[in-house]
Amino acid sequence: MSTGRVPFTVIGGYLGSGKTTLLNHILRNNPGERIALLVNDFGTINIDAELIERQEGNTIGLADGCICCSLAAGFFVALETVLQQDPLPDRVIVEASGVADPGKIARYGESPSFALDGVIVVVDVETVQARAGDKYVGRTVTRQLASADLLVLNKIDLITPERKREVAAWLARVAPQSRLIEARFGSVPPAFLFGLDGDRTLSTLAANGDDHDHDAGYTTWTHVSPAPTTREAFEEYVRQLPHTVIRGKGFVYLAAQPDRQQIFQLVGPRWTLKPGALWQAEQRMTRIVFIAATPTSLD
Amino acid sequence: MTDITIFQAKKIITMNPSNPEGTHIAVREGRILGVGSLEDVAGWGAYELDDAFKDNVLIPGFVEAHGHIMEGAFWAFPYVGYFDRLGADGTMWKGCTSTGQVMDALKRVEAQMSDPDAMLLAWGLDPLYFPGERMSKVQLDQVSATRPIFVMHASGHMATVNSAMLQKCKITKDSGPGVVIGADGEPNGELHELSGMALAKEALGTLIQSLGTSDAIWHYGYSARNNGVTTISEMGAAQTDDDQVIETLKGVVNDDKFPARLVVTYSFGLSKLSVQEQAKRALALVASDSDKLRFAGVKFLSDGSNQGFTGQSLWPGYYKGEDQGQWNASPEQIKEGVLAFHCAGIQIHCHCNGNLAVEMFIDAVDNALQKSPRWDHRHTVDHCQTATQAQFRRIKALDMCVNLFANHIYFWGDQHRDLVFGPERAAGMNACATALRQGIPFSIHCDCNVTPLGGLLGMWSAVNRVTASGKVLGAHERISAYDALHAVTLGGAYLLKLDSEVGSLECGKRADFAVLAASPLEVDPIAIKDIPIWGTVVGGVIYANKAAGSNVQ
Repeated sequence: MSTGRVPFTVIGGYLGSGKTTLLNHILRNNPGERIALLVNDFGTINIDAELIERQEGNTIGLADGCICCSLAAGFFVALETVLQQDPLPDRVIVEASGVADPGKIARYGESPSFALDGVIVVVDVETVQARAGDKYVGRTVTRQLASADLLVLNKIDLITPERKREVAAWLARVAPQSRLIEARFGSVPPAFLFGLDGDRTLSTLAANGDDHDHDAGYTTWTHVSPAPTTREAFEEYVRQLPHTVIRGKGFVYLAAQPDRQQIFQLVGPRWTLKPGALWQAEQRMTRIVFIAATPTSLD
Repeated sequence: MTDITIFQAKKIITMNPSNPEGTHIAVREGRILGVGSLEDVAGWGAYELDDAFKDNVLIPGFVEAHGHIMEGAFWAFPYVGYFDRLGADGTMWKGCTSTGQVMDALKRVEAQMSDPDAMLLAWGLDPLYFPGERMSKVQLDQVSATRPIFVMHASGHMATVNSAMLQKCKITKDSGPGVVIGADGEPNGELHELSGMALAKEALGTLIQSLGTSDAIWHYGYSARNNGVTTISEMGAAQTDDDQVIETLKGVVNDDKFPARLVVTYSFGLSKLSVQEQAKRALALVASDSDKLRFAGVKFLSDGSNQGFTGQSLWPGYYKGEDQGQWNASPEQIKEGVLAFHCAGIQIHCHCNGNLAVEMFIDAVDNALQKSPRWDHRHTVDHCQTATQAQFRRIKALDMCVNLFANHIYFWGDQHRDLVFGPERAAGMNACATALRQGIPFSIHCDCNVTPLGGLLGMWSAVNRVTASGKVLGAHERISAYDALHAVTLGGAYLLKLDSEVGSLECGKRADFAVLAASPLEVDPIAIKDIPIWGTVVGGVIYANKAAGSNVQ
């Protein structure tokens, strides 16, 4: 189901919220994707010196096929560097500066070479409310929160459960669309951020639907329906999904286009349904894998 | 051969209050011996009388205390903007006041291009002024059906291209959100924001590359000469951590043929060093100083632009339009940086368009002064377009300076009144009279190439406060021609801490003057901007407009 467009993820959050910690966590726990990481400052990223194969100007090439580009010369130059890689990377992750609006940077992910995958905003749960009320940066911070598909509540170990509930309730007001993920030291299951090992999810799906896989920190389940559905009914189904759903990916069997797979992708509040390949020998059915932040009994 | 030259003029305006006028100015070693009658200045010894300016008025050369080398870069490409604009090579580019005129101008350029495959790049298009006849690929296709054309708009945020460019770059209706689709469902030739313009990769790349060349610096110098400016500045857009950039600057500006002095501030926002290291680097750059090239001060960039709704404004924010207020550097970073540079004894200039940004910078300076009191710091609020009266009082109390952007009243005043800020706040923008009343040292700048370089235009804007539609905006903030002349000469010099050297014509100072056809203090105020400029004298060396382009390297 590759569209030839590189998945594009933006990671934002105010200064000190833990963006860099999250990025380092992603690099350490990379399941084998060739990631192009665009950062404001090389210095803050932990790159094992033995992994560095080459450094040319604003780009560091790593042995595992990943590259790290500095944004010092601007987005235009960095994205050009990414698009000149052969083969193209599996994913682009852009670190937004602490005062940037990640929603604006996400627009680059809508250009023809990329496919916007999600806007992730890291939140320092200890300070976020004070920052959001700050005379100078209050609007910047609330705009960042509102532009997020996923909010990573970082430093969650530093506050009481009661305080956590207060912050979550407050976030539900200022960023009603965003889905919440809890984290300590930027530790977030990659499945939340990037889905279940990319395109392989679907081939696995075609083979056997694997329900209620309780992994550490998240739940997955598969929605299967052999009957063709209408777009309206499917949209209603998506609207009814609980707020704990972080990601979804799969095929939809639409009555209006019975011969063609419809490819469904969901990141937090953002989802798309686009025509895919023709159905082949496999049985026609709607089959979607969801990932949720907490166990859920839906389905 | 004597080493003293006495220039004779119809009139010399000195901006030296104890000796305001004369007809003769004596110069030795590039510096002024005196201004007065011939008799007054003849006593220094044998001299050569130069009467080339006997029908002209001499004033101190204008000091542009907030400009950019980009002014020079884009003159490598034809200009198709709405307003008349003087090119670096002395060509007066007539404003294109209809899409037909834009097409005619492009056709003239196209006809002179010999390589049939070369791209035609132009800039300055401002469709805001052509309601109802928005330019698209259709018009540009009439300029050429085969040559790729790329016209960047005045805002810098969008471009219009022709079908040949769309084909060359394989831009289709599916190429992305930056591609504007016309009524026929196909791209209409408009490319929005970087995501759209970047699709015309070679065209945009060529424009971006032009910014870093020595040609750009040369053209900035020529543009200065053409507009009577003898001291220009690069306010924080040069990569001052890069030694190669410094060498390029030295190579051009120290050339005898370069017709201006250039002050380069350290670029806080472009550095990857720690603030302590930055302050050290900024101080070390002074070793590269010469008579004509100076490294002084630091430039901070806080918010965005008001007309783009990215400025940071106090309550109640924008009049109409969505607040997209943006911090380019965070208030925390600026507070830390201001303290570090202040403690290192370095003068700070901070870009603040909206009044929340002004407040933030005043607070940061206040904080630094509490920790480390200092006199004559001259920390300057740059642009300072929407500062409140209370903020001006604090600026005075903290001994700060302001560099106001009066040209905005003409170029965007109508939009500021109707859209951005509403009548009351728009009338109080770029409040030169307030700065004057409160005794705040101030200058008026062009921020070239955002608005055209030149002190006459800045004076005219501050004196008349007339918008592009011909209405007066903020009559109570108009100032006299004398005060405006002070702002664009000695005022600018003071803000660059060069007022002991330039900005007025008096004994001991550098022989930097603008040669004008008439006195800006005596013409009808509405005609100030139209006074012909013969050229400049910098350090006693004559740089004539009509020799324009002859010393391009």
